[in-house]
Amino acid sequence: MTDDVAEADAHLDFDLEDESDDAGEHAESIPLGDPCLVVDDLHIVFRVFGGKKRESAKKQGLHVQDATPVRRNPVKRLLGAGRQHVGAVSEVHAVRGVSFTARHGESIGIVGINGSGKSTLLRAITGLIPPHTGSVYVDGEPALLGVNAALMPQMTGAKNIEIGGLALGMTPRQIDEKFDEVVEFADIGDFVDMPMRTYSSGMAARLRFAISSAAVPDILMVDEALATGDAAFKARSKARIEEVREQAGTVFLVSHSISTIEAMCTRVLWMHQGQLVMDGPVEEVTEAYRAFVRAHRQARSSARAGGRRQNRQDGQSRQDRQRRS
Amino acid sequence: MTPVKTATSGAQDAGRPRPPEPPDPVVPSTSSAERQAIAEQFGLTKMGVRPPLWTYIKDVARRGAFIRVLGMSSAYARNQNTYLGQLWAVLNPILNAAVYVLIFGMLLNVSRGVDNTIAFIVIGVFLFRFVEQSVNGGAQSIAKRSNLIRSLHFPRAVLPLSNVMSHLTTLVPALLVMCLIVLGSGLLPDYEPVPVTWQWLLLIPAVGMLWVFNMGLAFVMARLVAITPDLDNVISFILRLAMYGSGVIFPVVRYVSELPEWMQGWMGTILEFQPIAVYLYLGRSSLMNEEGFPQEPLMWALGAAWAVVFFVVGFIIFWRGEERYGRD
Repeated sequence: MTDDVAEADAHLDFDLEDESDDAGEHAESIPLGDPCLVVDDLHIVFRVFGGKKRESAKKQGLHVQDATPVRRNPVKRLLGAGRQHVGAVSEVHAVRGVSFTARHGESIGIVGINGSGKSTLLRAITGLIPPHTGSVYVDGEPALLGVNAALMPQMTGAKNIEIGGLALGMTPRQIDEKFDEVVEFADIGDFVDMPMRTYSSGMAARLRFAISSAAVPDILMVDEALATGDAAFKARSKARIEEVREQAGTVFLVSHSISTIEAMCTRVLWMHQGQLVMDGPVEEVTEAYRAFVRAHRQARSSARAGGRRQNRQDGQSRQDRQRRS
Repeated sequence: MTPVKTATSGAQDAGRPRPPEPPDPVVPSTSSAERQAIAEQFGLTKMGVRPPLWTYIKDVARRGAFIRVLGMSSAYARNQNTYLGQLWAVLNPILNAAVYVLIFGMLLNVSRGVDNTIAFIVIGVFLFRFVEQSVNGGAQSIAKRSNLIRSLHFPRAVLPLSNVMSHLTTLVPALLVMCLIVLGSGLLPDYEPVPVTWQWLLLIPAVGMLWVFNMGLAFVMARLVAITPDLDNVISFILRLAMYGSGVIFPVVRYVSELPEWMQGWMGTILEFQPIAVYLYLGRSSLMNEEGFPQEPLMWALGAAWAVVFFVVGFIIFWRGEERYGRD
């Protein structure tokens, strides 16, 4: 019984980093140009094998996350048992009808609690996840700052720079030219000739960022890339993003850290359960979102006002505090 | 049993504040038609649309270096976590062939007039392994790499191509060992010596055509399994059928005369001229100096034809699914 609540809460888990070193900074506004990205009534649906919640979600007219499993009597459960495991294909409607227009020179942050469809939206406007219905129109080639998936942990850093660069569409000559710059930016020194799986997580993150920002795209998408790395690296990568933005015009940034969004963006989209619930200037949206998240957290902690769970919650927030300080 | 609590119901503990509601979804200020007009006015291109065939071919050709590096790196990475490392690329087919030589060549003796059974089986096993790996690898090249597909832009044909490339890289050293084994088999007391002739060089075009053929197969498998993951389970059975039906370990063509008469005609033709049998024949006719395997222009022509047909058809089949890869 209590597990159900825990499960529901797990979906709502989020971080709200308020105090951060970039508090108080603001992105400089650049005069807006022509539209460079038009998203028209975008829907993304995932096919999930073996999922069971869709039916109940449909019946209750809710988003999948909010649906409770239907309670059925034991006979029906027995009869239906086969169907849950054979041919059980369900769908998750991750993005539900999003429309907006972005212009050159804009830096757009996307906020929302976990599972609200931020990353999916980002990948969809990059063209990486084909839309179910609706369409995305774009000027130039958008690139996601995520070369991660192409890299091979067994291979050396040098080889990975080559693989990553090629995956990003660079020519072998361009990679040769940028090689030293990437190594220097990533600050990995002699480790460049070691297999990547021997790297510390910070080194790997730096190398990934260095590789993926080596190619300057028309539209840059950043998905939580700044969460890793130390303060110096954060500052460097921020400068790099700013540089890309000045050249390319448009930057999209997904982050749980509201202060990062405030420091780097001129406009914010707030996603909730796959829908766009707010779209506007930074201060306006982040203020509303912050209030929403606080209220959410309060509702959650008072819901947990009972023995075991209370302890766990305390433990968590203690961890949170430690992480922040 | 009390009713299930959820984040939204909360009927049980009324004192608890309800979770806040976010604002209602934004109603866009422009209509769908207006947005499309804006897109058209500023010359924006639509994402996620399959590029025309010719553009696609050029895209893939430009990624040649990526295909090569990705293929060679994954070939290297495959055998990296063992003590013998890259040696396994060669040891694996040798052990495989040894098992078949032992069972089919020596115990069952199904050679049917083939003099050098060892050469026959070893060539068959080594070449068929390339087909087998390409089919399996091609099948998983899209399905198992959805993570990569959802992170970066590139023509997806790169993935099956680099997969076949990775198997080709491990095949080349294995082929050298294969030649040595064939040569060594001639030294055995019961076997006639195997002379090294200029004909041995014909192995190179034979493997080249097999490579092109395999790329075509990998394209087809990649699309099939990406759209219908269940097919992955069927592949091993089809491959086993292909192995016995292509005469990998015994000359299946020479068994046709034992079939009922009405089957002999078409069955014999299929068994002899289906692509895998053709490539095995070409490999054997290059290395084995036997009356049963003379050089035949017809077989070379067939080999080239099968390669071109499979590659072109496979490429088009794969391209037609391009915009669907990455969506589950």
